[in-house]
Amino acid sequence: MSSTYTKKQVADLVKGDLDFETVHLMLSMPKDEDRYKFYMETINENLDYDHQAIGALGPHLNYVIRSDDEEIVVMCDCGHDFGQYRSNWKLNAVIYVRDNVEKMEQIYPAIMAPDTTWQVYREYYCPSCGIQHCVEAPTPWYPVMHDLQPDFATFYEWMGQPAPAKI
Amino acid sequence: MNDLTNPVEVLGIDAGGTMTDTFFVRADGTFVVGKAQSDADEANAVLESSVDALAHWDTTVEEVYPQMVTCVFSGTAMLNRVVGRKGLRTGLIVSKGFEDFHRMGRAIQCYLGYAFEDRLHLNTHRYDEPLAHIHDTRGVTERVDSKGGVVIPVRLHEAREAARELIEQGCKAIVISFLSSYLNGTHERAVRDVVEEVKKEMGSDIPVFASVDYYPVRKETHRTNTTLLEAYAAEPSRAILSQLSDRMKEKGAKFDVRVMASHGGTIGWKAKELARSLVSGPIGGVIGAKYLAEQLKIDNIACSDIGGTSFDMALIVKSKFAMHQDGDMARLVLSLPLVAMDTIGAGAGSFVRIDPYSNSLKLGPDSAGYRVGTCWPEGGVDTVSVTDCHIILGYLNPDNFLGGILELDVPRAKQCVQDQIATPLGLSLEDAAAGVIELLDLSLRQHLRAMISAKGYAPSDFVCFSYGGGGPVHAYGYTKGLGFKETIIPAWAAGFSAFGCATADFEYRYDMSTDIGITEESTEADKQDAINTLQAAWDELTAKVLEEFRINGFAPDQVTLTPGYRMQYLGQLNDLEMDSPLKSVSKAAEWDELVGTFDETYARVYADAARSPELGFGITGAILRGSVETKKPSIPHEAEGDATPAASAVIGERPFYYNGEWVTADLYHMESLVPGNRVTGPAVIESDATTYVVPTGFETWLDGHRLFHLIEV
Repeated sequence: MSSTYTKKQVADLVKGDLDFETVHLMLSMPKDEDRYKFYMETINENLDYDHQAIGALGPHLNYVIRSDDEEIVVMCDCGHDFGQYRSNWKLNAVIYVRDNVEKMEQIYPAIMAPDTTWQVYREYYCPSCGIQHCVEAPTPWYPVMHDLQPDFATFYEWMGQPAPAKI
Repeated sequence: MNDLTNPVEVLGIDAGGTMTDTFFVRADGTFVVGKAQSDADEANAVLESSVDALAHWDTTVEEVYPQMVTCVFSGTAMLNRVVGRKGLRTGLIVSKGFEDFHRMGRAIQCYLGYAFEDRLHLNTHRYDEPLAHIHDTRGVTERVDSKGGVVIPVRLHEAREAARELIEQGCKAIVISFLSSYLNGTHERAVRDVVEEVKKEMGSDIPVFASVDYYPVRKETHRTNTTLLEAYAAEPSRAILSQLSDRMKEKGAKFDVRVMASHGGTIGWKAKELARSLVSGPIGGVIGAKYLAEQLKIDNIACSDIGGTSFDMALIVKSKFAMHQDGDMARLVLSLPLVAMDTIGAGAGSFVRIDPYSNSLKLGPDSAGYRVGTCWPEGGVDTVSVTDCHIILGYLNPDNFLGGILELDVPRAKQCVQDQIATPLGLSLEDAAAGVIELLDLSLRQHLRAMISAKGYAPSDFVCFSYGGGGPVHAYGYTKGLGFKETIIPAWAAGFSAFGCATADFEYRYDMSTDIGITEESTEADKQDAINTLQAAWDELTAKVLEEFRINGFAPDQVTLTPGYRMQYLGQLNDLEMDSPLKSVSKAAEWDELVGTFDETYARVYADAARSPELGFGITGAILRGSVETKKPSIPHEAEGDATPAASAVIGERPFYYNGEWVTADLYHMESLVPGNRVTGPAVIESDATTYVVPTGFETWLDGHRLFHLIEV
């Protein structure tokens, strides 16, 4: 079955230009066949580097096929390479931990922030361009979270498309 | 033709999203139904629909309007204004520090009204625009505690400043809603008076609403939303209803238009609490079913109303329908008492699509609405709707759709169903279309069964009433095999909601929260306090009800007052609403009578064994309903004649697809059938407003009240 949505509509979805009624319908209804293709085309058109994005991990963070060696890596929009996708990209980020009252009060009024002996904020920034990619709010002793470990092999099988070489 | 001995007395109007129905009734109970496509100009659609209805009697609006005594309106304009956020710009004054609670919507408003899958799916959660923008919200320092005690006196100079800013910013109305104001309204009223003063000083005449004057009930989000709606949505409706009333007066009308309200009564369009009429159409059907059942002496009814966009169900048990205390509508939690209904978003106009992964059919959640489907090219719809399938299978007559006001393109519908449904599923055109109908019937049947069994009843205890534009088309499908005592389809199914509105009492209802608790350890003095508190609440509500009737020109002695209360076993979460056995209370000993009525009600709704008097009893709310006599439509009474329909009632035959084969269905003209007539399926009974389908394996007969009885044979 052909796609219900046009490339333009998917591009508007990525940009955030669609009315919520349409977005809601797109989210709730089964995904049409061309959705992934249109989505990734849109993302790639907006990127300045010449690696091919194959999945979105954040507003400015993608899984890409690195053009030099076809490895799948996590990459910032600025082109900063966070390394192979199976390892946690956060370990290669600049990390800022808010773990005392003074640091918390920079973002919340006094007494409205968590007690930092129970909860801290860890902010992950790109070492090259400084954009904030992620914030996590764990207990202080908790290991760095590995948010997502995609199974690209199965994903491409579901899509009925050839998988990238170095999965 | 105008018959002075049998004047037209009652008009019910249901201005829905798709169609505007009018329902005119003569003194002897004969009636006509009119239909017109809904229009942004509601007054216009009502007039068009009236003309359509009265054409059946060869008479005109100018001739009939002056004879009429009652007109009840229900419409969707107010709801659309809320959903589209096109209301009046309203400023909100709240307790300082709580400026954000309105837009936080109790956290529940981000998924309220969603289908089950979407409730689970966090990505789809979303807060609608708040009714009052945060920039139009001001906090005023004050605090009343949970017992009604003043903790921080209200700072009126802040209120003065807030009012001035809101008016300067361009707010067209101001709503005041403080924490716990239902327990102690002095702060709200003081601020209201200050706002009124400021407004005068500034030469402004915008309306001011204090929640305590309107909805003095607990839960501040509900109360604030409801009071905001009074300003945001109901104020503009007053203007529209006034216009409708004027247009009718121009045509000679002498009646006052009344509006159907969510509590099941009708209120004057000049009512102070007009937000109560936010959702009224489907409620009209339930009220109509209750009225009809009383006439027919049936106790237990399962009401089912299938329109173009939704399927609404309600149960009437022992001649009573249930009420929800905090109804929610348009994704807002509200403090409005609401006739309890279950609604699913699948109707006769739902869109049909295929899930590309499971390769299965999916209905809705959206629908073609007034745009019908691919069969009506002017509607601009490219996606197949249920109506398209009906047309293809011979259920509906493409040449007489809505009385022929729309010209349908059947080949286009066939092509669309073929391309979008049949080919992808590898089915023939007919089987694909029939699959859609079966799926809809199955899903309606499951919901109907679930609603009845979830409340601890069985379908065999109920008579099913089927109405709405799509009711007669689907009745056989969604009742098949459920085991109802009987399925009844009124000949005026399409106008049944409008009919129901016309049967509703002229009734105002006011509610107030109370905190009364009496246990085994309570003393006589405690009971006396409880009785005093309840009576004080009733007195306050009585004054409000009488004021509403005064606005509509009724003196207090014309009004019948019915006090009620909500009671619970202390510690339980749910309470029950009931009419008070006593018109007023003054003595401690009367407490036991109130408890007795609750115990009986509890045993009826749940079970004898579930009663828990050892917990003690609490009264959570006082209710006061006031009503005056109104003219109601009478049910037709005609003598029953022959079982065989007259030859003139047969208007032809049509190929009809059912159970995997094409058969020939006899076509009848509904208005030409007379009581006693029996029709065996496959048959299709057509009228301008609706189509009644009787497939193979079913038969139907028309009784003296012009009700069709559908029987599985």
